[in-house]
Amino acid sequence: MSHSSSDDFLVMKGISKRYGGVHALQDVNFKCARGKIHAVLGENGAGKSTLIKIISGVVQPDQGIMTIEGKPALYTSPSAANDAGIVCIFQELSLMPDLTVADNISIANPPRKYGFIDQAAQIHRAEELLAEIGCEDVDPRLRIRDLPLSRRQMIEIAKALGKRPKVLILDEATSALTSGDVEKVYAMLARLKAEGVAILYISHRMHEIEALADDASVFRNGRHIESFAKGAKSNDEIVQLMIGREISAHFPPKPAARTTKPLLEIKNLSWENRLHNVSLSVGRGEIVGLGGLDGQGQKELLLSLFGVLKRVSGDVVIDGKPHKLTSPREAKAASPSIALVPEDRKTEGLMLPMSIAENLVIASLDDLSSGPFVDDAKVSDAVKSAIARLQIKIGSSDDAVSTLSGGNQQKVVIAKWLMTKPGIILLNDPTRGIDVGTKQEIYRLLRELADEGAAILFYSTDYDELIGSCDRVAILYDGRVVSELEGDRITEKNIIAASLNISAAGHTAGHERAHHG
Amino acid sequence: MSTSSSTKSRFELTRDDKPIAIAALFIVVILIAGTIYTLSRYGSMPLLTPTYLIQQLQIGSYLGIIAAGMMLVILISQIDLSVPWTLAAGAMMATAVGGPWALPMALAVGLIVGVVNGFGVAVLRIPSMIFTLGVNAVMRGLMVAQTGGFAPQTKATDLMRFLAAERSFGIPHAIFVWILISIAMVILLKKTAFGRSIYAIGNKEAAAYLSGVPTKRVLFIAFILCSTLSSFAGLLLAGYSTKAYQGMGDAYVLPAIAAVVIGGTNILGGRGRYLGTIVGVILIVLLNSVLSIMEMPEAGRQIIYGAVIIAMLLVYGRGEKATS
Repeated sequence: MSHSSSDDFLVMKGISKRYGGVHALQDVNFKCARGKIHAVLGENGAGKSTLIKIISGVVQPDQGIMTIEGKPALYTSPSAANDAGIVCIFQELSLMPDLTVADNISIANPPRKYGFIDQAAQIHRAEELLAEIGCEDVDPRLRIRDLPLSRRQMIEIAKALGKRPKVLILDEATSALTSGDVEKVYAMLARLKAEGVAILYISHRMHEIEALADDASVFRNGRHIESFAKGAKSNDEIVQLMIGREISAHFPPKPAARTTKPLLEIKNLSWENRLHNVSLSVGRGEIVGLGGLDGQGQKELLLSLFGVLKRVSGDVVIDGKPHKLTSPREAKAASPSIALVPEDRKTEGLMLPMSIAENLVIASLDDLSSGPFVDDAKVSDAVKSAIARLQIKIGSSDDAVSTLSGGNQQKVVIAKWLMTKPGIILLNDPTRGIDVGTKQEIYRLLRELADEGAAILFYSTDYDELIGSCDRVAILYDGRVVSELEGDRITEKNIIAASLNISAAGHTAGHERAHHG
Repeated sequence: MSTSSSTKSRFELTRDDKPIAIAALFIVVILIAGTIYTLSRYGSMPLLTPTYLIQQLQIGSYLGIIAAGMMLVILISQIDLSVPWTLAAGAMMATAVGGPWALPMALAVGLIVGVVNGFGVAVLRIPSMIFTLGVNAVMRGLMVAQTGGFAPQTKATDLMRFLAAERSFGIPHAIFVWILISIAMVILLKKTAFGRSIYAIGNKEAAAYLSGVPTKRVLFIAFILCSTLSSFAGLLLAGYSTKAYQGMGDAYVLPAIAAVVIGGTNILGGRGRYLGTIVGVILIVLLNSVLSIMEMPEAGRQIIYGAVIIAMLLVYGRGEKATS
């Protein structure tokens, strides 16, 4: 391989992309070289996935140019990008479970004979590609459905290799792999590197990046912050780069640290392989945050407390009494009652085409009825007071809830639950995608509710929020509570370090409270 | 919801009222077109006589009772295709036991089928389109076996004749029965927590479930009501035609669904007013009747009938929910 000017293989200049009012990427300049593995780092929402989508032709930027070997290379579809040698391996599998391994590997461009798919050639091709990644033991005639998860991810990688990439992007592609398969992927990456492929590597596992990457780039809030060679920065410095943003939201003051009587106690909660022996307690008047990277079991924890998940093991103790909750209805009927503000307000929180009033009362119809009949006067009063308490901006309460802004929709979801007078309030990322003003109102409301005696458990992907509004923060990693932070130990640095499950600033994760002071 | 009067002061149709108005307008068009035909052909206007209209309402009452049940099931984003043989089974079992047990028997048949449908859809989570179709086939088999082994009584009882065919003050009792069921439906849908839950589930079952709505129970009750209304309609139809017979329900499933949808109920669930279903029933009954008065051959009637349903669906409600 004789590529002397290998440093500027893929170059992006002034790339910007907006979704509505949100800058997903802002004036990004980025480049990567042939024959190198380039790690892309950043928090949730830093712009990494938008970057990849632009490179691989899934979305088009609003501004900016991209070149490969000096030639313009902004593609308008993933298949055009594929043809140009840009291949992406996503975490979400793109395999068809009911087709065979061979069918899947050649799905886009199967070998043909007289116009028909040449089965023999297809199987032969699959065997070759599987051998390249050290998976000779997989029979290409097997159906994907019958393979374990790690093997499926390997097939995904073989499929990508079949496209003979010049730029290979791995987006969390190793998170489903067993350690044996990870070794094979490392070996394959080393070989591709030697062949001069440019590799972009996205992972939240710092040790993988340490082991693999030649270069790294940090993204934050849609901006490219810095690129550097491996070894130029310590883990601490990298974490600092990933954080370093000004705190923009204002939070109500926290009460002084105090011991509270636990209202909700979770003991050794496990569910399938997503939650492992989670133990946590939330006191009366306390706001406890759940942190960590996306998808570490936070959502499952909240759902299991709300009775949605089946076959959960472990104990849930509410106000001293053990409960086995098997439906949201039972959770609502518990004493004190439990409320859940779900993750996706559009599909889980609201019936969008129905009116604001109908949405507000749906969880408290039992209280607003006499016998089987809904009491219209009670409903009307309850709707009015809920709208007033949360200052929901509406025209008429008969308007469809879909006509409201995202922030006001979320207020409707919260107001719906406050009508049930819950003592335990679970929130799944309640401020995602809503404006700063409404966020602040929600923070104030949560603190008010806590002061009135509610126990609040609150998952957020926004670290500022956890720091600003929580009395205590539990960080989940791979379905386990790896760290509990309290008081001034709730810092962005500690949260990120615990989220990545690495130790920061000389503290061991998992026993933070012992180190207090 | 009637919590605010701000929308009522403006003179405009709400989203749910528009299809009802269109369907009502179409009823007028059918009557005018039919009358023009009879005037030019026979020089008379039989369509506008009370006798004719009352007779149409009587025919409509049987369909209307079935459509009421179908509407409940459609509102929760499901469908009940077991209606034809639930209806036939209700009628056949009622006449077979005869006497005072005819009515309880018909209702029991409906209850049992409804429980089975509810179990299949709410607990086993089988799509209702397939499950109820299967139940329909099973019911048919059971009824064939029942009549094959011995010859059961098929004659309608006096009570059945009284409810379905006899009149007071010149008005058929069937119309009173339909009116009573309609009042109950309006109260159920508008005034009860159950009614609110029906609409909530039809709009977004996940959101309703996560709000603590007893979704399984509501699904069960909706299917039970639908089947029971079907078997009760079977009892009335047997009373009207003096006997129960196999296949007597086959002609009712499509018109029932069509009446509900023409009345503005979203076929995907969650939206629709009961008044619309009444209007839809009347439209279908009149369309059938006028086409036969115009001596349209059977083939032409079927084509027009189907085309009207498709055209009405194009005019409103087409896949609106798919975008949300």
